Amino acid sequence: MSRVAQLRRDPRAGVAIAVLGGIAVALFPLFRPPLDGLTNDAILALAFVVMALGLNLVVGFAGLLDLGYVAFYAFGLMVTGWWASDFFSSVNDEKGIHVGTSDFVSSLPGIHLNLLLLIIGAIVICATAGILIGLPTLRLRGDYIAIVTLAFGEIISRVFANGDEVTIFGDNKLSNGRQSISPIDQINLPIFGEFDSATDLRPYYWAVLALVLVVLFVDFRLRDSRLGRAWIALREDEVAAASMGVPLVKTKLLSYAAGGAFGGISGAFLGPFFSSINANQFQFGFSIFILAMVILGGLGSVWGVVLGAVSLSFVNYWLIPDVLDGEFVRGKLDSLGLEFSFSEVTFGVFGFLLVLMMVLRPEGLLPERRRQIELTSGEGPLDDTKAAVFEARA
Amino acid sequence: MSVESGNGSVDSLLATEHVTKAFGGLVAVEDVSFHVKPRSIVSIIGPNGAGKTTFFNMLTGLYKPTLGRILFGGTDVTGTRPDIITSLGVARTFQNIRLFSSMTATENVMVGQHARMKAGLFGSILRPPSVRKEEIAVRDKAREMLAYVGLAENHFGQLASNLSYGDQRRVEIARALASDPALLLLDEPTAGMNPQESARLTEFMEQLREERALTILLIEHDMKVVMGVSERITVLDHGTKIAEGQPEEIRADDRVIEAYLGKREGGQQG
Amino acid sequence: MEAATVTSAPSRRRSEAVWEFISTYGLILLLLALPIRYGIQDLSDDGNLNRLGNNLVEGLSNGAVLALIALGYTLVYGIIELINFAHGEVFMLGSLASAALYATFGLTPATGAAGLVLGLAAILILAMMVSASLNVMIERVAYRPLRGAPKLAPLITAVGMSFILQNVGVLWIGASQKAVPDLLGSQKHLIEIWGVSITRGHVLAIAVTIPLVLLLTSFVARSRLGKAMRATAQDPEAARLMGINVDTTISLTFLLGGLMAGAAGLISALYQTSIWYFQGFSAGLYAFTAAVMGGIGNIRGAVLGGVIIGIIQGISDNRIGNDWTPAIVFVYLVIIMVFRPQGLIGEETREAG
Repeated sequence: MSRVAQLRRDPRAGVAIAVLGGIAVALFPLFRPPLDGLTNDAILALAFVVMALGLNLVVGFAGLLDLGYVAFYAFGLMVTGWWASDFFSSVNDEKGIHVGTSDFVSSLPGIHLNLLLLIIGAIVICATAGILIGLPTLRLRGDYIAIVTLAFGEIISRVFANGDEVTIFGDNKLSNGRQSISPIDQINLPIFGEFDSATDLRPYYWAVLALVLVVLFVDFRLRDSRLGRAWIALREDEVAAASMGVPLVKTKLLSYAAGGAFGGISGAFLGPFFSSINANQFQFGFSIFILAMVILGGLGSVWGVVLGAVSLSFVNYWLIPDVLDGEFVRGKLDSLGLEFSFSEVTFGVFGFLLVLMMVLRPEGLLPERRRQIELTSGEGPLDDTKAAVFEARA
Repeated sequence: MSVESGNGSVDSLLATEHVTKAFGGLVAVEDVSFHVKPRSIVSIIGPNGAGKTTFFNMLTGLYKPTLGRILFGGTDVTGTRPDIITSLGVARTFQNIRLFSSMTATENVMVGQHARMKAGLFGSILRPPSVRKEEIAVRDKAREMLAYVGLAENHFGQLASNLSYGDQRRVEIARALASDPALLLLDEPTAGMNPQESARLTEFMEQLREERALTILLIEHDMKVVMGVSERITVLDHGTKIAEGQPEEIRADDRVIEAYLGKREGGQQG
Repeated sequence: MEAATVTSAPSRRRSEAVWEFISTYGLILLLLALPIRYGIQDLSDDGNLNRLGNNLVEGLSNGAVLALIALGYTLVYGIIELINFAHGEVFMLGSLASAALYATFGLTPATGAAGLVLGLAAILILAMMVSASLNVMIERVAYRPLRGAPKLAPLITAVGMSFILQNVGVLWIGASQKAVPDLLGSQKHLIEIWGVSITRGHVLAIAVTIPLVLLLTSFVARSRLGKAMRATAQDPEAARLMGINVDTTISLTFLLGGLMAGAAGLISALYQTSIWYFQGFSAGLYAFTAAVMGGIGNIRGAVLGGVIIGIIQGISDNRIGNDWTPAIVFVYLVIIMVFRPQGLIGEETREAG
């Protein structure tokens, strides 16, 4: 056995790489300017990691193809639009309602809640929406589930896009329609104080990194639990799962609810980060953007989905606009007389990736452990994941 | 009629009354009444398409009977959801093995204990000591069950899809046993087995009844197994019950010979 | 105990019959809700139904286009149980090709009647061929390699294909809506019946659709290939054993669906007098709704569904607002898929119960 192989076999090497990688990820913004394009893209990438992990619960674990994930993005962002801006400016005799906000924000009209409350609100709303969207799909077959969820995604997007014509609670509008709601309050956390995305992006980076860690923890806990096994059983064989005592309705709805909640968390973070919300963002393409992350990384594979989300985010926010449409490539193409911008075909690229992956490597770049290990002998204690992966690679 | 459903429900573990299932215009099972005594081994036989698996699917809640009642332990379970029927104490295997192929043997058996576990969404996330303890117990029990059905220990961690056919059958039985059933339904458990394996399975069924106080209902084509293990046999043909009784009676029944044995005597269904 | 089963028997049968009744007539009632609501409004406002009549006529011509697209969904689903998500884009590219061919054939609004008819006939055939070959190619590249894969895999590639083709449209004509010459004067008033104005566009849509649907129906019903298609749809394995080349038959199905989509593409270009890379997305989903409404796999059902959705679209566009139409059609889609997945005149799928 070569020394490299020996090194890879040693679990300590893996731990060391993980620790070093973790430190690099956590500290890299310190070595960049406060307002850095790369940090900006990394923040988006991490927020989409949370989204993709949520969709992975539904599509990857439970095997329910959800093509309407944009609904949770919409609800998550709208929660911040409703409850962290001057959108409901008339409440409380135009004095506003404020919970846990900075001094400046506390003087503004409208409802203004702290980020932590926004996240809780988004979780509740998105989990409920997930259940409501899931309910009608319970008796449907896989492809019909896909279309019904797609339809719900479109309905919700449309309602928000035309929300300026819809009134709720008296004469309040549901949304500003195709006009933006802005500004959304900056994040204000106890101890850390109020962030300011106009001068320093780094606090946003660390906040979203913390969210990713929490969500990953929850994700692993769910995967290796009674519920996670029930989801995978459901994905593998619904009839057998039901016959083994897995309640189909409850298990499916829990996956929709949990998946939706992840989307809500991400949306509640992205609202303050974008600082402005526009219903034009709520497009079917967004659902496919997130789905492509899950499929690229590997359906059901947690680390795969993280990889897929990070790489597609960078393709979308960096590779296509900054590199392919950047001056260098632009110049080359212009000299060839080719007049076209890669940004226009971004979704074609994602579509191409979907086709390519499904045809050539349906298990994804970093397949789920279950699909990856072909042969392992014996079984270790409860947390044998890492060892198994290393054995399989050796 | 040997079944009087009124008192049948008192001393039978399982009883059906006039159970009928129609798919559109096609009647797959028609007016089948029968009962199974506790701690007995009972077989359902019949030619292909006789409605045996449809009948099983009604017993386990996958199909809702068009007519009739199903009683388990005296309670009416007609049209009850499959997972609830499982939690009441009915477990099954499938004619063409239906393991969760991307899960290990152990995980498959752990899923079998789903109905006996308590951890919910928040319990799974927060994993308090009670859930942790439950998780360990469930894993231990899964391993115990796998050992009980005779799976080699170095196969416990293998993906179900990588196991040999015989081992997959074993895991499926272990998965069914893991839900602590009172009644075990086996759908053609010896399909694809050689005579030695079949004989071993026959012994194992008797062992299950003795050691685990199980009642077993099986669909089987292998007459040697059926005649060897069953206390009672019910014969279905074209969805209706054409005979019922002890093995010797069935062997001598003209209608059965005509419908079934006559055509495929000693033969094994492939 | 005898009594128990006797009483439970008819009641269970009756509850199924009641459900069947409610889901059929409830759906029909729901479909009539919009026309009835605005009919009443018109009667009380104007004292006649002219406005509603105009909406219906417009809806009928929308519906003709949707029906042609819906045929593609229904044929393909009928044979391989795949929602060909890229089908809307096949229609869109048919439309783009048609518009491009105007110039090739030198057609302008000033072209004389004879030249126009000949030119458009040629364009119709070419557009149909473009869409058909595109659809066949999609099947070869994206779906055939996945036959036998889990059922959701080809659906995911179908979604991917749909995005690729949309971007082909973007590269071809750009990302914004583009006006095309109004060759026929499609808004030109032709006749008025009971106060309802019929335009050339309306007549065109219906006049192209009806013969095509009749041709398709008789092809599927009568020809040898049509029989092979139906046999494959019933049971691919048995069809293979009977000596039917299943791959060819599936290709043929995509070909037929593509032909219809190409025709719809030309009609749409002539009728809407604008083309857009995104026109296939909503049209595709509307047409899919139509196919499900009519009972997926059912040719006549697809036409009926197309007309119904077209009318809903016509009324919603004019009365509620363009922006709301997708939401309204999708609400219908959800209701149909959930409460009556077999459609208005479909049968229950293979696996009953």
